[in-house]
Amino acid sequence: MVTVAVADEAAERRRRRGVRPLPDGLVLGAFLVPALVLLGVTQFWPLAASFGISLHDWTLARSPVMGEFVGAANYARVLSDGQFTGALGFTLALALGSTALSLAAGLALALLTVGEDGRLRLVRALLLFPMVIAPVAVGTIWRMILSARVGTLNGMLGALGLPQPNWLGDPMLARISLAVIDAWQWTPFVMVVMAAALTALPADVLRAARMDGAGRALVFRRITLPLILPTLMLVGMFRLVDALMTLDIVVTTTGGGPGFATQTLSWWIYQQGLRYFNLSVAAAASWLLLALCFGVAALMLLARRRAARWLP
Amino acid sequence: MGGAERVGPWRWAGIALALVLALFPFLVLALNSVRPAGEFLSPGAGLLPAQPTLEHYRAVLGGDGETWRFLLNSVVVTAAATALAVALGAPAAYALARWRLPFRLSLVIGLSFLVVRFYPKIAVAIPFYLLMRDWGLLDTHLAVILAHASLALPLVVWILLGFFEEIPREIELSAMLDGCGAWLRFRRVVLPLSLPALGAAAILTAILSWNEFLLASTVAAGEARTLPVRIAGFITDKGTQWGPMSAMGTVIVLPVALFALLAQRWLARGLTAGAVKG
Repeated sequence: MVTVAVADEAAERRRRRGVRPLPDGLVLGAFLVPALVLLGVTQFWPLAASFGISLHDWTLARSPVMGEFVGAANYARVLSDGQFTGALGFTLALALGSTALSLAAGLALALLTVGEDGRLRLVRALLLFPMVIAPVAVGTIWRMILSARVGTLNGMLGALGLPQPNWLGDPMLARISLAVIDAWQWTPFVMVVMAAALTALPADVLRAARMDGAGRALVFRRITLPLILPTLMLVGMFRLVDALMTLDIVVTTTGGGPGFATQTLSWWIYQQGLRYFNLSVAAAASWLLLALCFGVAALMLLARRRAARWLP
Repeated sequence: MGGAERVGPWRWAGIALALVLALFPFLVLALNSVRPAGEFLSPGAGLLPAQPTLEHYRAVLGGDGETWRFLLNSVVVTAAATALAVALGAPAAYALARWRLPFRLSLVIGLSFLVVRFYPKIAVAIPFYLLMRDWGLLDTHLAVILAHASLALPLVVWILLGFFEEIPREIELSAMLDGCGAWLRFRRVVLPLSLPALGAAAILTAILSWNEFLLASTVAAGEARTLPVRIAGFITDKGTQWGPMSAMGTVIVLPVALFALLAQRWLARGLTAGAVKG
């Protein structure tokens, strides 16, 4: 019905204007080009430019234009910088810790809340809150909770007569805190996707297994887990890559401290580039981070293909 | 999993614990936003403020009206970036879904959209800053809108691409035989069928733009600052302004939380579109 009405309208218009519709190729080309132009100008060109900058000598404080070509010198400089390697180590640990924590918690939440019951749906909506708010605000909120003197957590521990650790002031505790904060924000993402994967499971197979006398644990290990594993690996890849880029929560919690204990790569690059205007060093470091992100993504996709074989 | 499954007491206990862990921080934020400045540093202060006050809201929302400007900036940027990303992304997704290009070009273009999701935005931040400087757009809404629209565009394209590919071609075929060109088929047949997917894409874009910090802080550090950039400014070398920070945190968190509650279904659809099918 719709198409007939639309076609009639089209024919009517053509009669009025005496024109034929434009060839499809032309229209579809015009559909695609604006999006490609926007992406090209605001993403891909800057990305390519940063690679160019990484091969030249350029400190904005000294010169408004790019200096001479220096080859891989900036990369060598970055890789031999103790602060960069320190940030690299922390970034990897943060990404692994936060991803593992959020995958475990998110899968548990998905199993807890899966179902079409209206109450469960409301619960899932409420559990989404952490991931829809600004990461900068997440940092702010957790700073209020974890602050040594003003913080809510130490207030409660104090009231119970327990020791009050300096959550964001002690190097090791601050690192762990950041991983927990990041996992807190992104656990809902894992939950939503895994709940969808669980909903898509073949209900009759699960029911048949239960009727054959298989216990919950056995059904989960032998049927549910193998079926949701590809999705879990994919979510894990997104989580790892995103966590490798962590910046916002560092800005509003620790500012990279105490000392340099919680500098992530993005934070260190942000400082180098946008605070000290050390453009070529920042560009080289950001391409190293990019390579790391791509490498991890590729590795996870490769692992995803083989994951089924690792199951017990 | 059947919908009729009974939810037992242990499962409810687990759910209750999860809700506390997920929502308690929001309670802390709300309570701190009405806590008098003097109570922050007194060691014996309880969770509930002894004498609740609206002074911080008056400070950030009243007076010189500075926050109103940042709030307005955020609203303008979010609305414009969402409109731009959907207006460019929907036709692009349709072209990718229906156009057979030689040399698997459609796939290559589709992947080039996807790749934006996988590199650190800090890599484009500095050249993007230089580009906006050269165009004279530093500290303008337009610079932030361009940044956010380009970040969201791949998301929009991939959500809609998956959706358009599932629309049976027969529906379009009859329109085609009746002489409808690609534009009319898209505008009058495909788009009306795609409102849920368009809604999901728009919601995710709006949330992304409302929350984005890195590129916004890079190109708009003054008049055109958005709320996330402003809130980071409360942490100064002189110390943290807890009260105003909490009040503004509530201002930035509340709309998006309400939004998430109302648009839950579309939100979940958008979030899973990329991941589950991928």
